[in-house]
Amino acid sequence: MATAKKNSLNTPENEGGGHGGETTAETRWGLSIDLDKCTGCQACVVACHAENNVPVVGEEETAYGRSAHWLRIERYWEGEYPNVKAKFMPVMCQQCTDAPCEAVCPVYATYHSDEGLNGQIYNRCIGTRFCGSACPYKTRMYNWFDPIYPEPLAEQLNPDVTVRSRGIMEKCTFCVQRIRRTQEDAKAEGRDVQDGEIAPACVQSCPTDAFTFGNLNDSESAVSQEARSSRAFRLLDNLGTGPAVIYLKGGETRV
Amino acid sequence: MSKIKRIRKSDGVIVPEDVQDQLLLTTVSDDELNALMLEPMKRTGPLFWGTLAVLTAVFFWGLYAWGYQIRWGFGVAGINRPVYWGMYISTFVFWVGISHAGTMISAVLRIFKADWRRPITRGAEAMTAFALMMAGMYPMIHVGRLWKVIWMFPYPNNRHLWPNFQSPLMWDMLAITTYLVGSSLYLYLALIPDLGMARDNSTGWRYKLYRAMALGWRGTEAGWHKLEKALGIFAIVIIPIFLSVHSIVSWDFAVTTQPRWNSTILPIFFIIGAVFSGLSALATILVLVRWGMKLDFYLRKEHLDNVGKLIFVAGISWIYVWFAGLIVEWYSNMPITVELLHDEWYGDLAPLFITMMVLNIIPIFFLAFRKVRRSPLFLLILTLMVNVGMYIERFLIVAGNLMRNYMPFNWGDYKPTWVTISIVAMTFAGFILFYMIFTRVIPYVPVWEVKQGRLRFSTRQVGRVEVVTITQVD
Amino acid sequence: MKKATLSRRSFLKLVGGAAAAGATVGAMPVAAKKVGEHFEPYVVPPEEALPGKATWYATTCRMCAAGCGIMVRTINGRAKKIEGNPSYPLNDGKTCARGQAGLQALYNPDRLRNAVKQNGRESRIFEPLHWETALSSLMDKIEAADPANIIFFGGVMADNLYYVTSRWLEAIGAPPPLQYDLHAALEGRATSAKAAKKLFGTMQQPIYDIANADVIFSFGANFVETWMSPVSYSRAYSKFRGQTGGRGYLVQFEPRMSATAATADQWVPIRPGMDGLVALALGKILGGGSFSGMYHNIDIKEIAHASGIELDTLKKMARILANADHPVVVPGGTPAGHSNGYDSYLAIHSLNLILNQLGREGGVYISPNSPAEALEAAPMPNSFADVEALIERMNGGEVEILFVHGANPVFELPQAAAFKEALANVPYIVSFSSFVDETAVQSDLILPDNTYLESWGYQVASSGGDRPAVASQQPIVERMYDTRSTTEVIMALAKEMGGAAAKALPWESEILFMEDMSGSIYGSSLTPYTTKTGKEFWAAFRQHGGWWANKKLSAEPEAVGFKNSPLPVAAPNFDGRAREYPLFLHPYPSVSLSDGRGANLPWLQEAPDPMTTAAWNTWVEMNPQTAHKYGVHDNDVVKIISPNGEIEARVVVYPGIRPDVVAIPVGQGHEDYGRYAQKRGSNPMDLVGTITDPKTGALAWASARVRIERTGRKEKLARLESLHGHGKEELT
Repeated sequence: MATAKKNSLNTPENEGGGHGGETTAETRWGLSIDLDKCTGCQACVVACHAENNVPVVGEEETAYGRSAHWLRIERYWEGEYPNVKAKFMPVMCQQCTDAPCEAVCPVYATYHSDEGLNGQIYNRCIGTRFCGSACPYKTRMYNWFDPIYPEPLAEQLNPDVTVRSRGIMEKCTFCVQRIRRTQEDAKAEGRDVQDGEIAPACVQSCPTDAFTFGNLNDSESAVSQEARSSRAFRLLDNLGTGPAVIYLKGGETRV
Repeated sequence: MSKIKRIRKSDGVIVPEDVQDQLLLTTVSDDELNALMLEPMKRTGPLFWGTLAVLTAVFFWGLYAWGYQIRWGFGVAGINRPVYWGMYISTFVFWVGISHAGTMISAVLRIFKADWRRPITRGAEAMTAFALMMAGMYPMIHVGRLWKVIWMFPYPNNRHLWPNFQSPLMWDMLAITTYLVGSSLYLYLALIPDLGMARDNSTGWRYKLYRAMALGWRGTEAGWHKLEKALGIFAIVIIPIFLSVHSIVSWDFAVTTQPRWNSTILPIFFIIGAVFSGLSALATILVLVRWGMKLDFYLRKEHLDNVGKLIFVAGISWIYVWFAGLIVEWYSNMPITVELLHDEWYGDLAPLFITMMVLNIIPIFFLAFRKVRRSPLFLLILTLMVNVGMYIERFLIVAGNLMRNYMPFNWGDYKPTWVTISIVAMTFAGFILFYMIFTRVIPYVPVWEVKQGRLRFSTRQVGRVEVVTITQVD
Repeated sequence: MKKATLSRRSFLKLVGGAAAAGATVGAMPVAAKKVGEHFEPYVVPPEEALPGKATWYATTCRMCAAGCGIMVRTINGRAKKIEGNPSYPLNDGKTCARGQAGLQALYNPDRLRNAVKQNGRESRIFEPLHWETALSSLMDKIEAADPANIIFFGGVMADNLYYVTSRWLEAIGAPPPLQYDLHAALEGRATSAKAAKKLFGTMQQPIYDIANADVIFSFGANFVETWMSPVSYSRAYSKFRGQTGGRGYLVQFEPRMSATAATADQWVPIRPGMDGLVALALGKILGGGSFSGMYHNIDIKEIAHASGIELDTLKKMARILANADHPVVVPGGTPAGHSNGYDSYLAIHSLNLILNQLGREGGVYISPNSPAEALEAAPMPNSFADVEALIERMNGGEVEILFVHGANPVFELPQAAAFKEALANVPYIVSFSSFVDETAVQSDLILPDNTYLESWGYQVASSGGDRPAVASQQPIVERMYDTRSTTEVIMALAKEMGGAAAKALPWESEILFMEDMSGSIYGSSLTPYTTKTGKEFWAAFRQHGGWWANKKLSAEPEAVGFKNSPLPVAAPNFDGRAREYPLFLHPYPSVSLSDGRGANLPWLQEAPDPMTTAAWNTWVEMNPQTAHKYGVHDNDVVKIISPNGEIEARVVVYPGIRPDVVAIPVGQGHEDYGRYAQKRGSNPMDLVGTITDPKTGALAWASARVRIERTGRKEKLARLESLHGHGKEELT
């Protein structure tokens, strides 16, 4: 494990003035997304639904902005026909270092873990939706109704993850249950967790390996190497939230 | 009213007429004054009961809607992502705003010894208390899991779990609770001598009620002394609370990263807006109560005139602060901010925005005219306009703003549902309902304060000559 | 750095035990048994099933025909999560959205729970039957029928099922199974195979080495979405983008910008049906070398004009091809959807020939025959012409019993083909569907197959991947309901019939059949794991999720079918006159719903379309110019009218489409097929006519012309993207 690097505003990777996402702790989970490889295929979206018991809300609710995708693929158009391009950008909770959502929760239902995760405690949530209003990324999803699982659809539910009832805010957790599972397995085997060993459901499923997950505070890890790439940027960096999700912008081939 | 004899110029009195009106300088005796207050309270007609019945029905329908929302979840309430806050929070802000006029009138004017305030203070304070009660319901209405709302209270527990005092919602809760307790006590303290008076002049259930509520008030020297002292302290203490409450409400918005919310002027804007809307609501209520209870003796056009002036000043200030905020946003030329401004000016929100501006600004200019201010009907119409306008302003700030954010991919729409409207209507109905009952149970005009005011410029019959006495009170 | 190392390790560790136990007792590796209708945990569970502890089993994904290797996480006998099998070379531990959603096929609330007979077609009144009753009544019908009049209609069939079914049909003297489904038609499977047969002398899907190519020219091959083996090709695409010394250059020729075109470096909005001509023009510019005779008489200018591509662009494209070290040209679904599809395929493949990319790195390969031959993999699918022949036979009363498995022809075939009407002339229709779909509603008897997570099977990887591979399929959970594997049903029928049929299928059970089949690849020197006996191999085969070559292995296609003579590419035929129907219809497979088979899975319904971010309904994509011309906006409901029919859909103003084309995703518009699918959207196949490619008989599904009519209604389409924010991205 490399020495933890103190976050500094002047390092080249922190261009843009915001936090780099690194912290002084030993572990700071981070995710990099190579937009050059994302094909918008939705495998991560469905994998996320399956892994995290994310409810399906149906047509009407989706039309009214109530879909519950913890992870969504935003598609941006550039230019006009015929010189039009479309870019995909998967957006999930950015696990901010200075999360706007954390300070505003009146009951500490969202908090910062010592591994840098922006945790959401479903049982504690009373549903003020303040965090949702405060989140600039709009990645916090609310349970507008109780989820419905016509028998036997509930068999699909992952027993490692709570099923949220109505009135509760939920969001991407970086699949904290998978992180814990891997950590516990490693501990049982008496070894450290290897870089790349932990894979949240989206990372695991991605057919093009657009995602890289790992420890941002380990300067050797694949994710922190990607974070130092010249293509790296962070979403709404100027807000100073210090996202732990790093995007690598798409390249261009000159012919 | 024939008994009331006005002091005339010809009597050689030097007190100006408007001051006479403001202070109700008449020759009516104290007993007559008491009766003028207590008699209308017992007058209730079919219109009164009919209105009461309708309001009760609306209130209980709203309660049903609330129950429906609790049972099925917030999906029935019309909000969505990204508009996580809609009409509930707008209405919450509106009610907190309304509550500001009570303190404004009674505490601020008390400190500045504005004598004309006397007959209208109680009405204003009651408005504060009821508006705060309605506002206080919203944090509960708007949480997704009402049954867990207790977690917002700092109670000792074996897991050492405390609420998060960093959260503006906690500040909100504390500020509103403090304000509610403070203003209720303030209302109640000032009520005690009148309760004593009412007790002494009534029979039956009213007697029993007033006896219990008057806390043994006997009008002793010591009693008056303590009361004056307590009121003096409360008047001073409640002013910072009054300023903080709406600042804190604004911080619910201003501390986030949401474009246009994240602004330093928001607290001032909210306070000024609160006073503006609160005074307008007060004027509306005064006109209606004056009409409903025929309190022309106590609530004179002079009072309306003065309230109208205050609304005018608050309105001008509101325009100023709105413009001060706007100019900064506009000149900053930040793309997202400009986009949001354009949205208001000629985008989706334009109809609401234009309505709001028209409803808020037109009354201000009309209120510059004395004749308009002195006309109850005009005042009623104009202040109702301001009330609606300020409601829309709150809606635009809360729901309108949340429809937009830094990520255009995630912009949204908002349509309130029957549940939302029913619950919002419930609080409006509740407010009017409680207020109406209040006017018939509690002396609406602080008679003792009026009497006290009369002491300042009073006339006494000395032999054949009517002599003006000038006293320093307070 | 390889990811998901842990998954692989735990899978090996955990599955090893399961497979060993399974091998010795020949039982299904399940941790639950059935008591009546309820699932109950074993009182004494199998040793690998610890309460609350996950066990991973390897099997094969059957959500499309690609046959990826998957691992399923099970807890207490319930399948909980599907992930790719990291050992299986085709998909390398990855899955697509449809693969992830397989659990909902297993746990779908609308599954048929036992064999049923329908009291009157379309009555939707189903009477439960005991399997014995069902099978004996079926036996009676079979015995009474002329075997030649028994037809088995399959989709693109699983290899094991095809093997069993075809042997049985052959033994009783019935024609072989007819394999046709819409997905295969949309990806041009039949055309591709027939072109390969002609050009390379082998009826196989060519494999395009896009991972090692530096330039890819794709003619409508949506290889990161639905085409052939999307996960395999997505893996390759990732390598293509991540290669050292560049990120490759992908050019996508298609009338409507698909997600693949969105990931491309250049999207060329080509006029529908012009793919072959454009390929010829490119070849002409390139010169053609020793095959220049192929491009004799080609007028580039004329083609540029006809295809809607500027001459400069064509020349630039040709230059890119010429300058590339390892270019590959891929013919995909769109060219196959026209009446000149076969010609287009030949013309497109010729580019690979003249670029000298046949059998070269970053070029075109074919997969070695070894496992496919050993296992007698299912042949390439039939074409639409075969289906039309069947329809004719049905109308002529020459079909007495129709079996339908793995396809939903009533929904998938063009309305104009009148398949549904022809069914009325078939005395007895048997469906094997797990769901009451549109075809099952027309049937007399439904014998629901197990879902794939409850089934045995194997699948030879036919397209994609860099080596031969066979995925093995084993039950992950015990049957949820009283359903029965179709393989077993056929085996039971054969046994009952005795004689040649019984001899053709001599196995006592499906498991023994599987074991036997695995034996045919046992002993190969390419094996990725060493086993001493056939039994051991059988266990390892299931444990690892299949068998594959331990090294890269692919065969060079022999260019047997190319001639140095002009390649004729006919002009495409379209349904409807241009004046009356000014727009081309471009139906395309939905990334999540495929050809409609995914429409009953809520996860897939909810997964937004990547390009429009819409879900749960049908929309029609129109260029902003076209929308303006018709005076329609987003969410307006319009009628799309073709000579063959009309449907309604909501408008999506879509910048990535030619102004003379409207595109509609396939997949919605189900009448039946469960609560999540039915009464939702519309089916563009209702607009498609029956024009075929005369050379292959493939359906020219992109040959309909349409016109648009406003209805004046507005209905909000469920979209993730805000229409207000649309086009304002530069704000932040």
